[in-house]
Amino acid sequence: MEDQIVRITSRLVTPFIQVYGIYVILHGHLSPGGGFSGGAIFGASLVLVALSFNLEVGAKQISHATASVLESGGALGFVVTGLVGVAFGANFLANRAAGFPLGEAGELFSAGAIFIITAFLGVKVASTIVTLFYNIIEGEEKSGDAH
Amino acid sequence: MELTNHFPALILAILLGISFLSPILYRWARKASAPALIASLFLALVMAVYLLVQVLQVGEFTYYMGGWPPPWGIEFKVNLLRVYMLLIILAVSLWIMVYALKDLEHELKTEVMGWYYTLYALVVGSMAGMALTNDLFNLFVLMEICAISACAIISIKEDRACLEASFKYLILSAMGTGCFLLGVAMLYMVTGHMNYDLVNAALPEAVELYPNNMFAAAALFIVAFGTKAALFPLHVWLPDAHASAPSPSSAMLSGLVIKIYAFALFIMFYQLFPRSLLESIPLNEIVLWLSSMGIMFGSIFAMVQVDLKKMLAYSSIGQIGYVFLGIGLDDIIAMTGGFYHLLVHAIMKSMLFMCAGIIIYTTGIRQIKQLGGIGQVLPITMIAFTIGSASMIGIPGTGGLISKWYLALGALEIGRPIFVVIILASSLLNAVYYMPIIVNAFMQQEQFQHQVKPVPRKMLIPLIVGMAAIIFFGVFSRPAIVLLDEALALFF
Repeated sequence: MEDQIVRITSRLVTPFIQVYGIYVILHGHLSPGGGFSGGAIFGASLVLVALSFNLEVGAKQISHATASVLESGGALGFVVTGLVGVAFGANFLANRAAGFPLGEAGELFSAGAIFIITAFLGVKVASTIVTLFYNIIEGEEKSGDAH
Repeated sequence: MELTNHFPALILAILLGISFLSPILYRWARKASAPALIASLFLALVMAVYLLVQVLQVGEFTYYMGGWPPPWGIEFKVNLLRVYMLLIILAVSLWIMVYALKDLEHELKTEVMGWYYTLYALVVGSMAGMALTNDLFNLFVLMEICAISACAIISIKEDRACLEASFKYLILSAMGTGCFLLGVAMLYMVTGHMNYDLVNAALPEAVELYPNNMFAAAALFIVAFGTKAALFPLHVWLPDAHASAPSPSSAMLSGLVIKIYAFALFIMFYQLFPRSLLESIPLNEIVLWLSSMGIMFGSIFAMVQVDLKKMLAYSSIGQIGYVFLGIGLDDIIAMTGGFYHLLVHAIMKSMLFMCAGIIIYTTGIRQIKQLGGIGQVLPITMIAFTIGSASMIGIPGTGGLISKWYLALGALEIGRPIFVVIILASSLLNAVYYMPIIVNAFMQQEQFQHQVKPVPRKMLIPLIVGMAAIIFFGVFSRPAIVLLDEALALFF
């Protein structure tokens, strides 16, 4: 699809969507939202680029391979954060007891492990959205009736 | 704190960790991914054995996620019965994985292998979690993980039958989890808790005030776990799903996945619901008759099948009936039989699916009719099939006899000999569909017609282990029975 209006609009709004996505991810412990919703917003922006331009441009932002590595990495990060608790003599998934700095309630950098876990979740969800998108596209190409 | 204190959580963390690591490993260090999975399963098994030793020494203990005690946090509880389940899950899944290494090569495309390991570890991890968790919502989450990854290990083969079967499974098991969630909501409404023990403590009072909530929750739980575990009228998804999946997945699904839901139903009945509730409404009676019908009809359906794997799948419907029969009879001896059957059936059905997998691998045959004379070309496989079948029928010397023996004893003890008749009749029915295959395989005079590839040794070793296990549990049943007696005494 070649449409200047769509392309220029999406080029304009993409940075804003991404910043908003990051905002929602990072404020997960303070305001409604968090890793899942923020990640979905961020992932949607990458899908938007791929849709309004074409797949090659989309793949330049983030390739299918990178997305699937990030996807596994995000989930792995969650597990590792949980294991930090065990390493520092508290229970699995412990937060303050494991020595995560809690910061001041209401500040951006607070809530210790929750903050880190939300960030990992954001990465995981954003890359999952992209991977799903690529998988659907590839599935269509395989079945032979693309576009 | 000692590292060993964290084993309940670490088992889950290791399995989930390896599941997320597998795709990365498969991309960058392909050779390491399968050994890594096997090593993690083995490590988890070692931890589970340690948990068993610990439970035998100090009795029941708990683990709080993140150090938060209930009602705030998620609680893992370790007692004998849960460790028993955990050991079955981890040992059998490790054993199936060893077999799967070779089998998957020809059933799956190479690019999805890494993902298969992911899904496999997720299924095992979520089942291990279900065995340990003491929290309703945690159980719900783990059920969802298990359901979705179980669908995916069917559909990963990407042929038409698999996709159709896994879609059917997805829809029905989603309805099952939906029912469970609704039931949990009903209980949460009146008790305000998610933790099993706290719900249990609050229920007697709640039953007085809101009896309908409780009845609805109990009914929903039976439907939910009945669907998931293929209890008789809710079994419709099972034959297609288990028959069309790749053989390791079939072994996994038939051997373990349906069992864990039977175990979950047991926990709901005997740990969550107060004893008075079980006595006031005939929950056990419902399960009892449904399971009896399942035992009979599963076998009857299996008799008319022409596809080997489909026959095995229908047989699973009958066999899971024995586990539910133990719950339904509401007697500690029968329950011992039911849980013993859970162990034995996990081994024998997985092994039979492995045999079917080897037959398909070497000859490509799925039809029972074409198996005449196959015993001459695949002797070890067919001997394993014979031992597995013998155990299904309940021939002395195999594990299947012991579980049926205890089930029958339990039925006699509570004075309901009709169920002994059902057990006997179903054993005969089992013989009716297993024996012809064996007789044809070994006794037929004419030569086997089809081309046969050599059987890889990696596939035969698990079979030999399985045969040994079935005979071991048939001859030396005492330790497991004693363990189960002690484990179940906590619930009566």
